[in-house]
Amino acid sequence: MAIVERPSPPALQLPAGPQVAPRPLGAFTRPSATTGWKSWLTTIDHKRIGIMYGASALFFFIIGGIEALLIRLQLTSPQGKLYSADLYNQLFTMHGVTMIFLVVMPLGAAFMNYLMPLQIGARDVAFPRLNAFSFWVFLFGGIFLNTSWFLGGGADGGWFAYAPNTGVTFSPGHGMDFYALGLQITGIASLVGSINLIVTVLNLRAPGMTLLKMPVFTWMGFVTQMLLVFAIPVISVALFLLTFDRLFGANFFNPAAGADPLLWEHLFWIFGHPEVYILILPAFGIVSEIIPVFSRKPIFGYPFMVASGIAIGFMGWGVWAHHMFASGIGPMSVAAFSLSTMFIAVPTGVKILNWMATMWGGRLRFTTPMLFAIGLVTMFTIGGLSGVTHAVAPADTQQTDTYYIVAHFHYVIFGGALFAFMGGFYFWWPKVFGYVLDDRWGKWHFWLQLIGFNLTFGPMHILGLQGMPRRQFTYLPGYGFEFWNRVATVGAFIIALSVLVFLINVAKSTRAHLANPVPVGPDPWDARSLEWMLPSPTPAHNFDTVPTVTHLDEFWHRKYQEDETGRVTRARPTDEVAQKGDAADVHLPSPSYWPIVMAAGLPLIAYGLIFNLGIAAVGGAIVLLGGFAWGLEPADDPERAHSHAAHGDGHGEGDGDGDGAGEGDGAGDGQESPEEPAAVSAGEGEGAEGDDS
Amino acid sequence: MSDAVLTETEATGAAPAHTTSTGISNEKLAMWVFLGSDCLLFGALISTYLLLRHRSTTPPFDPAEVFDIPFTSVSSFVLLMSSLTMALAVGAIHRGDVRRCRTWLLTTALLGATFISGQVYEFSGFKNEGLGYTTNIFGSAFYTLTGFHGAHVSVGILFLMSLFVMSLRGKLDASKAETVEIFGLYWHFVDIVWILIFTIVYLIP
Amino acid sequence: MKRILRPRFAWVMPLLLLMTACAQDAPQDTLQPRGPIARDIDNLSDPVFLVAGVVFVIVEFGMLFLLWRFRARKDDDPDSAPAQIHGNTKIELGWTIGPALILTPIAFFTIVTVFAIQAKADDATMTVEVIGQQWWWEYRYDTDDDGEADIITANDLIIPAGQTIELDVQSRDVIHSFWIPALNGKKDAVPGRTQGLTVEADEPGTYVGQCVEYCGLSHSYMRQRLIALPESDFEDWAAHQREDAQMPTSGDALAGAELFQTTCSNCHLARGINDEQHADALEQNDGRVLTVPGSAPDLTHFASRGAFAGAMFNLWVTENPDGVVQWDEIGGELNREELEAWLRDPPGQKPMDAVLDSPDSRGMPNYNLSEDQIDLLIAFLETLD
Repeated sequence: MAIVERPSPPALQLPAGPQVAPRPLGAFTRPSATTGWKSWLTTIDHKRIGIMYGASALFFFIIGGIEALLIRLQLTSPQGKLYSADLYNQLFTMHGVTMIFLVVMPLGAAFMNYLMPLQIGARDVAFPRLNAFSFWVFLFGGIFLNTSWFLGGGADGGWFAYAPNTGVTFSPGHGMDFYALGLQITGIASLVGSINLIVTVLNLRAPGMTLLKMPVFTWMGFVTQMLLVFAIPVISVALFLLTFDRLFGANFFNPAAGADPLLWEHLFWIFGHPEVYILILPAFGIVSEIIPVFSRKPIFGYPFMVASGIAIGFMGWGVWAHHMFASGIGPMSVAAFSLSTMFIAVPTGVKILNWMATMWGGRLRFTTPMLFAIGLVTMFTIGGLSGVTHAVAPADTQQTDTYYIVAHFHYVIFGGALFAFMGGFYFWWPKVFGYVLDDRWGKWHFWLQLIGFNLTFGPMHILGLQGMPRRQFTYLPGYGFEFWNRVATVGAFIIALSVLVFLINVAKSTRAHLANPVPVGPDPWDARSLEWMLPSPTPAHNFDTVPTVTHLDEFWHRKYQEDETGRVTRARPTDEVAQKGDAADVHLPSPSYWPIVMAAGLPLIAYGLIFNLGIAAVGGAIVLLGGFAWGLEPADDPERAHSHAAHGDGHGEGDGDGDGAGEGDGAGDGQESPEEPAAVSAGEGEGAEGDDS
Repeated sequence: MSDAVLTETEATGAAPAHTTSTGISNEKLAMWVFLGSDCLLFGALISTYLLLRHRSTTPPFDPAEVFDIPFTSVSSFVLLMSSLTMALAVGAIHRGDVRRCRTWLLTTALLGATFISGQVYEFSGFKNEGLGYTTNIFGSAFYTLTGFHGAHVSVGILFLMSLFVMSLRGKLDASKAETVEIFGLYWHFVDIVWILIFTIVYLIP
Repeated sequence: MKRILRPRFAWVMPLLLLMTACAQDAPQDTLQPRGPIARDIDNLSDPVFLVAGVVFVIVEFGMLFLLWRFRARKDDDPDSAPAQIHGNTKIELGWTIGPALILTPIAFFTIVTVFAIQAKADDATMTVEVIGQQWWWEYRYDTDDDGEADIITANDLIIPAGQTIELDVQSRDVIHSFWIPALNGKKDAVPGRTQGLTVEADEPGTYVGQCVEYCGLSHSYMRQRLIALPESDFEDWAAHQREDAQMPTSGDALAGAELFQTTCSNCHLARGINDEQHADALEQNDGRVLTVPGSAPDLTHFASRGAFAGAMFNLWVTENPDGVVQWDEIGGELNREELEAWLRDPPGQKPMDAVLDSPDSRGMPNYNLSEDQIDLLIAFLETLD
């Protein structure tokens, strides 16, 4: 903050006159806009990135939802003739891929990106530019994948893409190339993001914030990132092998050449099973934040909640072949995986019971977020129980590949993750945007979604047990499938209505707020974790002063005093505890062009591999040159301390910061001019654009 | 409230020592995490190779008939030596000896390039003997595994040359020692993976 | 008063499951076993469903209780909070170990059943190769144990009732899955592998299933039928199947046979009718017929089956219009309409990537037959009983 002045060494003093010192490496200056649409393209602020993840996910949710409605329309009656089998196969494939990779994962990313730095008392993630890169790569990957609809047809091999059906012989169109390359791209986003968040959680915690004082949401997010970092490379390999088969004539999944199609299944599911925990753990975290707030009690059994999350993370690696009980893996493997799958129910059951114990003895407020959180607990229980029935391998040989499985995973992903994310939207909306979503509309949203969801997927348990297989573009009369399919279609449209209600709520509440802004204050819910200590919406710099943490639920403990019996008295009014958000001297890392530029190169490479290698070369050049430009771009603040953890802005070589001057020396948010580094450093040859002490 | 303590620290402008909660810098920790994920990448590739290598339905059927162990041992030795020179580079920069660091960086890059050249030579030989990428499943698996490794080495060489150029321009000094060290982690990892691949693919029948 | 959550469908679930078990018109019902192995599975899964149901009731009704009992009251002091209980290690350990204990017997019986079902394969009196390809099932029997298949059929898998039969499930192209829910779980047909599935039917009857691993365009139209016969009937059937077909001597049937020889021999074989032409076609195409992956159903005894086109369409008229052709309906009234429709335009009836004279064709292409030609062919096909 204070500018420490030191005289330039005389030997390096520049003659007066035109600049002769070489310009810093990195020809472009960094962007400086903080408002306007362009500022969103170059932002590296984790909060804005989180908002963009959320908005993108909602966009893809609508696309995936339309795909679902089209599926349901076709299945309303037997021998439906709405569209061809070919189109139907694309619809169910894209529905699955979209919902998993472009909706639920980015929704988790949205909440994790926005909240994790705040919950640990940090100003941003460890590598803000990398964070922006992750987002743009995800968005471009999702768009790339969906352009397949216009470029020859969507992927049609199922989201699980079993070989050899997905090879060129049986899927000659481009759809599966879009699938393989698109998921490869989004995988890069997840992998890079996971490295970022792991380092953030391990390194950027506020003083006193030990790992066991982190909120449960941050813990679940951390386990999720650990799962991602090890699972993504495995599907990467699977997708590479598929791509090499399809594009370069490799033989990995060619049975005539000696391949075993089970290789794909193993690689896919070694990723695929941890993937489902990646989908659900952030949701578990969200519920673990919401329920205590609206029960006015702390989470029951914090150590068990954390430990069960970690246990799920570890055990999740040992169950993958329960997706392959009918694939011919042999009775020993079947028995082993059956066992491991059963016991992974234990840590999940602990969570359900701990949430209920949190509510026990509480004072329950049934706000919209609380309703959605209760929704997860009740609906996930159903999905979890059907999951236990699949763990019984002989039973699973009847259930697998039927609508019973479809029911199971929709109960856990939709009834579980999506309900929690909706609750999270209503819970954190005031923190992010500065106003609440209307609670009455919220309740309509909740009830319509709950009813529609149960009407759609409840009957699928029956359909599956009656023998209706999955991935069927139609079914015959006389098998008993008509009635419940009809019910399910009606339910699907009720879900659609509930989503409409949500969107209307967002529009209405936003309009009401813009017309008549009423500050919602830092803590509308009387909550427990650090993000609620800040003004709403969260200021760009997060914390005025980084708090020192002495308790789990630090914010709550600053407001309330608790004696040994757990009795609580108010210690301080909230506005005394909450930060004002008016610190003007906090240094923020500058925005940057290179994340979005580099990200744009990736889909070009992908298009090029499919259509024209020239395009791929251009894409590759963009990635390479963008990477160099990124590494060499001028530091956002030449006098910033080297590697100061609380900033954590990615240091490339040529970032050119020396060690010495303190951080946050009033350079403001990235408003420096290009001449400033040269003038200050007076000869930047020694790599110290700051002063050498 | 103890928050004030930190504010004070900030106010004096004194540069705090590495304030990361683990004591390891962000960049170094990130490299460790990345290498952890790369283990899974190579693990999956090696598993694929192990599963597929004897399942070819067209010749060559047996990897052993194709490999030239002595040649590959030499190129493996070259790569191993590059790890030594890399360590020497890191040592040099820690001592502030930029020139020596620069020399060792260049040597490492050259040794890496020699390794890659050796692979190119070796693989063209295999191709002439009838083992192409699409010839059979052993070919596909073998070239994919070694190809990914080679790509990692090549990216490393690119980075080494960038560091080399930087040092020529005077931008690499003792304050940048950690950058070199972090890259060293990557380079050693790539070398260790090669040891694994060499053992599993070439040496173990 | 705040509205309380009422998961309305909570009580419906067990009821629905009950309804499933009693479904009449559900030929693929997994909860009505008709053979010992399916019964083993059912005996294992029924108690598990029960336990799941009990847990469901405890959790959901427990939740309802919590919502009612601990709801906030209007007069609560906003600055106070209930006792801040942070946990209770004993209870938490209890509900960690408790569920594990409940799962243990389930795990035990699961493993016992897995190996018991596996062991049933050893009791098999007969093995049938079940080969899936896009989009139909072929069955090959080696009844005289000489290493060569002597009966090659499709769509209807005929077995003797009351005997344990081992199916060697294979695939010629992509992954399919063979499943007759009344008799056993499913087993994937993976190209390059042979996997065993054991079936046994208590009683003679017709049992149906569908391909149950996504396999492309006509995955929904790839079905299988299993007919269990009394032992002596099975012997008669097998003996008859081993015989070649008889070349018709006159009339439409003869003309149809000649048409069959010229038009259908590229892919189909009817032993005794077009052996020469089929062999020629194979030779001409380097041993590969003009379809991927290489063959079409053997039609030697086409009219002895209940369904055609991957068991998708009934060959005979059934009592129940939506019903499945039963054994005693085979050879009755021909389902002319659907057979004509098929011959007229196969890809129009069943989605396939079938292109005439293309080596990449999959499924049966449209031969642009005239109505007369169709009549002749049907007259001929009727003789292939």
